This record gives sequence, structure tokens and C-alpha cells, in this order.
Amino acid sequence: MPAGTGSVPLDRRVNNVRTFCIIAHIDHGKSTLADRLIQRCGAVEDRDFRDQILDSMDLERERGITIKSNSVTLSYTARDGATYSLNLIDTPGHVDFSHEVRRALLACDGALLLVDAAQGVEAQTVANMYLALEHDLEMVPVLNKIDLPAADVERVREEIESDLGLDAENAVLCSAKQGIGIDDVLEAIVERLPAPSGDPEAPLQALIFDAQYDPYRGAVLLCRVRQGVLRPGQRVRMMHSQSEHEVEEVGLLQLRRVKVDHLQAGAVGYVIAGIKAVSDVAVGDTITEVQRPASEPLPGYKEAKPVVFSSLYPMSNEEYPDLAKALEKLKLNDAALTYEKDSSAALGFGFRCGFLGLLHLEVVQERLRREHDLSLIVSAPSVRYRVTLNDGRLVEVDNPSYYPNPAEIAATAEPYIKVAVMMPERYVGPVMELCRERRGAKTAFNYLAVGRVELTSEMPLAEVLFDFNDRLKTVTQGYGSLDWELLDYRDTDLVKVDILVNGEPVDALAQLVHRDKARPRALHYCERLAESIPRQQFKIAIQGAIGGTVIARTTINPFRKDVTAKCYGGDITRKRKLLEKQRKGKKRMKMVGAVPIPQSAFVSVLKTDKD
Amino acid sequence: MDAAGLYIHVPFCTAICPYCDYAVLIAGEERRAGYVAALLEEMELAGSDRWRFDTVYLGGGTPSALATTRLAQVVGAVRARMALTDDVRLHLEVNPEDVTVEAARAWRELGVGFVSLGVQSLDDGALRFLGRAHGARRARQAFQVLREVGFDTVSIDLMYGFEGQDAAGWQDQLEAAAALAPDHLSCYQLTFHQGTVFGRRLARGVLAELDPEIQAELFRLTHRRLADLGYEAYEVSSFAAREAHRSRHNLKYWTHAPYLGLGPSAHSFDGSSRWWNLAKLRLWQTALERGQRPLAGEEALSPSELALESVMLGLRITEGIDLARLRARCGVDLVASNRALVERLCDSGLVVVEGDRLRPTLEGLAVADSLAREFELSE
Repeated sequence: MPAGTGSVPLDRRVNNVRTFCIIAHIDHGKSTLADRLIQRCGAVEDRDFRDQILDSMDLERERGITIKSNSVTLSYTARDGATYSLNLIDTPGHVDFSHEVRRALLACDGALLLVDAAQGVEAQTVANMYLALEHDLEMVPVLNKIDLPAADVERVREEIESDLGLDAENAVLCSAKQGIGIDDVLEAIVERLPAPSGDPEAPLQALIFDAQYDPYRGAVLLCRVRQGVLRPGQRVRMMHSQSEHEVEEVGLLQLRRVKVDHLQAGAVGYVIAGIKAVSDVAVGDTITEVQRPASEPLPGYKEAKPVVFSSLYPMSNEEYPDLAKALEKLKLNDAALTYEKDSSAALGFGFRCGFLGLLHLEVVQERLRREHDLSLIVSAPSVRYRVTLNDGRLVEVDNPSYYPNPAEIAATAEPYIKVAVMMPERYVGPVMELCRERRGAKTAFNYLAVGRVELTSEMPLAEVLFDFNDRLKTVTQGYGSLDWELLDYRDTDLVKVDILVNGEPVDALAQLVHRDKARPRALHYCERLAESIPRQQFKIAIQGAIGGTVIARTTINPFRKDVTAKCYGGDITRKRKLLEKQRKGKKRMKMVGAVPIPQSAFVSVLKTDKD
Repeated sequence: MDAAGLYIHVPFCTAICPYCDYAVLIAGEERRAGYVAALLEEMELAGSDRWRFDTVYLGGGTPSALATTRLAQVVGAVRARMALTDDVRLHLEVNPEDVTVEAARAWRELGVGFVSLGVQSLDDGALRFLGRAHGARRARQAFQVLREVGFDTVSIDLMYGFEGQDAAGWQDQLEAAAALAPDHLSCYQLTFHQGTVFGRRLARGVLAELDPEIQAELFRLTHRRLADLGYEAYEVSSFAAREAHRSRHNLKYWTHAPYLGLGPSAHSFDGSSRWWNLAKLRLWQTALERGQRPLAGEEALSPSELALESVMLGLRITEGIDLARLRARCGVDLVASNRALVERLCDSGLVVVEGDRLRPTLEGLAVADSLAREFELSE
């Protein structure tokens, strides 16, 4: 008997295992369907049940998005009388997290393609389905929300066939919300998705598709065992990072961790191996056994590279150590987040952070606020530019503060992406115009189905960062959806725009932009600041400038009266308390010279429309 | 303790003005009698030996709406039970519709020296808007009656800064009021309070606040025009023809002098603590009927709270903040701990520092609320 398999008899019934995920556009009911499957299989008592049960972060529930992957093993007794282990792997839905989706898909053998029977096939459905096809997953189309009056099963079937090229004849019909057709979904999983292949006797190969952080146990790796067996006491090696660990515990995820003796080929479960932080593990890495290593790792390893950079500053400098601690903690659970120390003349000490996209940035900011009670100022997000100096040296710049002296710059290049927008045909005009505004090149479109169009454009990433998605939603009345992938670096004409408040540059508001966009962007900043900086007893000039040349300007006029008319005996305590509150509020503002700038001002500049 | 002010809140009105957020109500004779009885009880409980008063202020509400016999009962009790200085000043708020020769004589008999007449406007349209019970003619008559009966100080209260008012219209009002030659004027800008009729109309969008720029203009116009007409501003909204006509009582609030408040919702301050009464007449009265102090709340002020109040209040009056007193009471050296700020405020003409006073200019008075936000008050 080969080493490492131990004496416990291996379970040969991998035929009774199904590992799958649900692919859906946001709002098409993925979390609700997952909730129903979990309830139907009795994995949770009704009284313990809460909606979106796989989304453990409050933030995920509130926004209705999944940020981290999760998985649950369900036990289902099918109509054929046999009992199946169903591994449902929940994947993030948002484009910022497509990398996570990819990894989660690698752990699956099949997928439910969930489509809203009223809304039909949407951009994300298509994008994620292509990802699933890339990984050879078997797919079962499921039409959800068939109870809605607007549901049009025939039209959506057609869309699935024409847009996705899938046979929709056997699509399962359900309403997750109403609990209709849930058994049909489960039966389809059992009948139509394949059982795992893989040899429990072969050398160990387990794919890490996500990692969670446990304050007592350290990193908890979520993995899919492809070959061999994982069991406590094994010495294992991560095939990419080459680090070695001893397995302490393995188990199944059944909404909580359930310890088991071993995980064998075909199983999905967790591994605890004395690893301190999530950042010490490369998600996508392959676990193998030191004594009998596999010859090669599983596919799926790709470094999650941040593409958006922004500095975070605490509202008060005393909170800096707290921010440092909080980031360290977040990093334990969010391997894609990068950060390093940064300092601003206007805002003091902070951190320069890298994110997968704007949503990722927002999520991190929100988690810092909620979970760590930190109120932050976020500087204008930037992409990473490549700057060639006159001496031929290439430097990468993602922070306007480190932008070289323009006289020393020979050339600059910025990252381009390929944007894909899916939308009803009637919005093609406005979206093409939007792409043109955003320096889109090679803009083209093709019909996915009658009335549905996919538009593609090659566009600087920086143009998408600044409110592109908001504008897209506006011009398509919410019907357009966006996906993008990095292409390459292309030459650009970059300038640094400084924002000055009463003559003092506010470095956290400085930004690198294309020369053609400098004036409108500077004006936007000036106008937004003029709206959100409170009036003072003196006039405030807000200017946007390139070098010494002012290119945009607004003025905040002083207020001329604010004194309340009456102040008699009774009012004094109340009036003092009001004043104390205002003074506290002012302490939370950042002083630039004599001008207090509220946090909201730093936020407002990043938004297009007035809320 | 320094000579204190005694405030008596009379919560009764014949009609509730739509902008008013004071503790007021309309009530019959029975409740008025009960109120007076409870007020006498409160004087007993207040511990008069701590206090010596050089002002007695009857405010409200509408004290003039109280029958002169009841007023006489109240003032008689004050004289009998409270320690008053020889030069004590009695201050009475009256509404034009209550002013008759008989009433005015009775008030004089009680020793009232300072009468504030709630004229609010000499324009009938404005008076209707403000929901007042009197017209401009009645207001003028009332003023003449007060003059003829003879009081040391007759003051006129005016309101301004409501929708539709412009500089010319308001200047006419000021001049018309000044033409009556009062000794004192109080000019209040209309403020919208939550829970009032005007507050609700504002929320519904039926009423609008006057544009802040126009408000600012009217404020300056008030101060400039009244100065030209011989009335010196000594507080944001208060103007006197001579220093002797200033409201000694109201100045106590602004200079942090001690005061004792009796009646529903009245506030008291003894130099280090502040406490305030239950605002509802029934609750206030019930407490007193049970022999309990009718307190709604109290606080002991820390040195930094005292300092903040001193700054906040000092910036409302033309004599400004008494820096030496602030240093002595709260250990705060205001100018030393705010050098750059004081320099900036002086340069921009908002304050002046003269000897031991930091005084707001007219421009500074106009922005007194935000100036108070600026100062660092560490010891």
C-alpha cells in the first residue's frame, strides 16, 4: 500500500459526489437559490436560517454581493434512493472578482447557469459562462423567477440558445423565492452533472480555491482534492510557493466546520495546517504530499494583481496605528489587498493600497469603517503608469506624489483594457458616445440575439476607474453591464493635476490624467470641493493647476452672517452642546491652512452625479 | 455670589404665535390661579438665602396676559420672600393688546421700570403673517400709553428677515419704530424652530427661509441704521439709546452672571451649575404641589465648558470676552493659546483686542456662532 493512505478504508463511492457552482448575473437570485438548496437538504434548522446564508460578511448581505468564495457540503437523498454529497461552491459575482470566480470554477465539475426568467441573459451571465466553458464544466440552465408576471420562459430559452449556445430544451424551471422547482434543480444536479473523476491512490493534488481567516487557527484553506487523500499528520508542500506545512485538521464545510478523518479525491473541504495568515497562502496553489509529490501542479494559479491604487489616511493622525493594525487583519483574509506606508503633507501618515478594482476599494474602505470603526480619507484612485525617463530608465508610478519632474520624462504609458458592455440594442448610440468620451479605440459591436448587443472597446483603464460604471448605468438606464480584462500598456500624454485650496496644494487630491482630460477633471474637482467645503468667514479659492498654470478655479464665498438672533437663559446649555458638537465635527476635518476640509469632500470628488 | 437676576416664566398667552417655541399655552383662570400658587411654592423651595437679586424679569409667554391682581400677587411674593438690592430693576414683557392705561398704571405701581413691548412690526401685513393679535395702530397706541404712564425704559421688540422682506421695507420699519423714540430696541431675525407652525410649514415647503445673503444684508442694515438713529448695539439683537437703558437682566445671561429661573421651563445658573425646570405647566405644578423641586435636568459645568460658554456668549456682546476673568475662572489664556487665529481674525476685521477684552466688530457679531467654533480652549 502506498505511503500516506493510512489504515482507514477509503470511501470508493465518489459516484455519489457532485461539485458545482451557480453562475448568474447579479440579482438573478443566486443567493436565494443557494439558500433554498441548503434548506431543502436540511443543512440548517429553520430557526437558525437567515437569508444569504453563505454570505457571512454583513457587507455581502447588504450589498447583495458575494466577495469571498465559500462552500457547503449538502446531503441529498435523490429520487433514485441513493444519498449524494453535493458540494456547492459559492462564487463572487462582480467583475472585480473574476479572478476568484475562475479559481472557484476550477474546483467544480459542473455549474448551474441561473437566468432570471424575466430579465433574460445578461452580461455577467455570458462572461462567467465563458469562464465555465473554458474549464470544461458541465452546465445545467436553470430559469429562476418563473412566478413573476414578467417572466417569459420561451424568450429566455431562446436567448440561452442563441447568446450562449446552450441547449435550453431541458432547462429547469424554478422560483427560488417561492420554493418552486427546488427538487427539480437537485435532481438535475444529481442526474446531469458528472461525478468527480480522480484516483484516491494517486499522489495528492488538492487545489486551494479560497482561504478564510480564523483568529484561533490561522488560515483555513478551502480546497478541492483532485487526486489522492488529505489527512491530518501529513507533511504537505504548496507546489508554487514551495512552503511546507503539517496538516492539523481536515473537514467538511457544512455552514460550520465539521472535522473528518480524511478528504479524498473528489472531496471539497477545508484544511488547517498551522498557517498564520491568508496572505501566506497563494490561493490557486496546489497542495501535494512531501513524501510522494505529484509531478505537476493543477492549473489555476495566477497572482491576483492589484490594478487600482489609492492612499488611505485616518481622519485623525492618532488613528494611524489602528489603521495599520486593521489593514494587517484585513490582509489575513484578503490576499489581493496590498499596502505600504505612505505620507501626505496635507493628510499625514497613511497607506498606499492596491486593489483589484473600485468595488474592491469600496469594500475595503467599508470593512475598515464597520469592522474597525475607522473613518478614512481615500485619495483619488490611480492606475500604475510606466514612465520612461530621459536616461532610459523605466519607473512605475501609481502615486501622483512620486511623479517625476516632467522635464526628465521621455515617454509615459498607461494600461489599456478591453471593455465588454452587454445591453439592449437601443443603448448602442449613447454607449458608443461614452466610449468615445473615454478615449475608447476599436469600438465595435455585435448582436448576441435579436435586440441584444455586445459592444467592445479598447480603453485606458484610468478612464474606467473614474465613474465609468456609474455613467454606463445612467446612459443605459441600468440595463448595461460591464466586464473588462487587461490588455497591455500604450503610450499616453500624461500630466499631473494639482488641486490647491487657498494656494496650498492638497497632495491627496493630486492626480495623473491624460492631457485632454486635465481641464474638465480639474474643474470637476474644483466644483465638487466648492460644494462640500463649508463656507468660512473668509473667501476660499480652489484651483486646479498643471505645474504653475491654473487650469480651473472655483471660489467659496465667505458667509456673512450665522449668529442666532436670540440667546437667553434657557438656550445656553443647548446652544453650548450644539457648539460642542460642531467643534467635534470640525476636529474631524482635515485642515489645509485655515480651511477645514470634511471627509465628504474627498469622497464627493470621486462621484459624477449629485446624490 | 454676585448680584443675580430673577427670571419668572409666565407661560400663558391669548394666542400662540406660529414661530414661537417657548413653553406657552392658553389656559383659563383656574389654571392661572394654580400656577401662581405653585410659583409661590417654588420661591419657598428655591433657597432665597443664597441669592441677592438686582433684576427681576417677568417673561414668557405673555406676563401682561396675567391679570394685574395676579401679577401683584407674584411681585408681592418676590418682594416678601427674595432678597432684592435697593436699585433692583423690574422688567416686564407686554403685548400691545394688553396695554391699557389702567393696566400700565398697575404695572407702574408694582415697580416695573423696564417694559418690553412686543410690537414685532408696524406693518399690518407682516403682523398678520406673524399671527399676532394686534395691528400696527394698536401697537402705536400701546406705546403712547406706556410713555404717558411713564416707565424708565420703554423698549420695542421687532422681528425681521422673513420671506418677501427687502432692505427698503425693513428700513422703513426701523425708521417708523425709531420715530416713536423708544429707549431700547430688540430686533430679532425670524428663526424657524422644529415643532412650531412655521417649522412645519418650512418642512412642507409652504414657507421658505429668506436668502442668507439678504439676511446678512438686513442684519448689517439694522446695525448701521440704528447706529445712525442714535441707538447703540450692545448685543447681537439689542440696541439702547443710552447705556442706562440696556437690559441689565439680559446682560446677565451674556456675561455668565448668576440667575435664578422660576416657572415652567425656566433655567438657573449659579456660576458653576445650571439646572432647568420641567417645561410642561402641569408637570411643573404637580411636582411643586408634592413639595418637590420641579427639575427637568441639571449639569455642573467643567472649567472647559464654562470657558466655551464664556467665549460663545462674549462674542455676542459688543463689550466682548473678559480675558482676565476667563483666565481667573477657567485658567484659559485665550489669546496666548490662539495666537495665529486671533491675528487672522484681527486682520480680517472680525475682532479687536483691547486691553483685557477681545471684542467682536459688527462683522464679527454677524458670524459670532462660527467664531466660537474656532478657539482652542486648552488650559
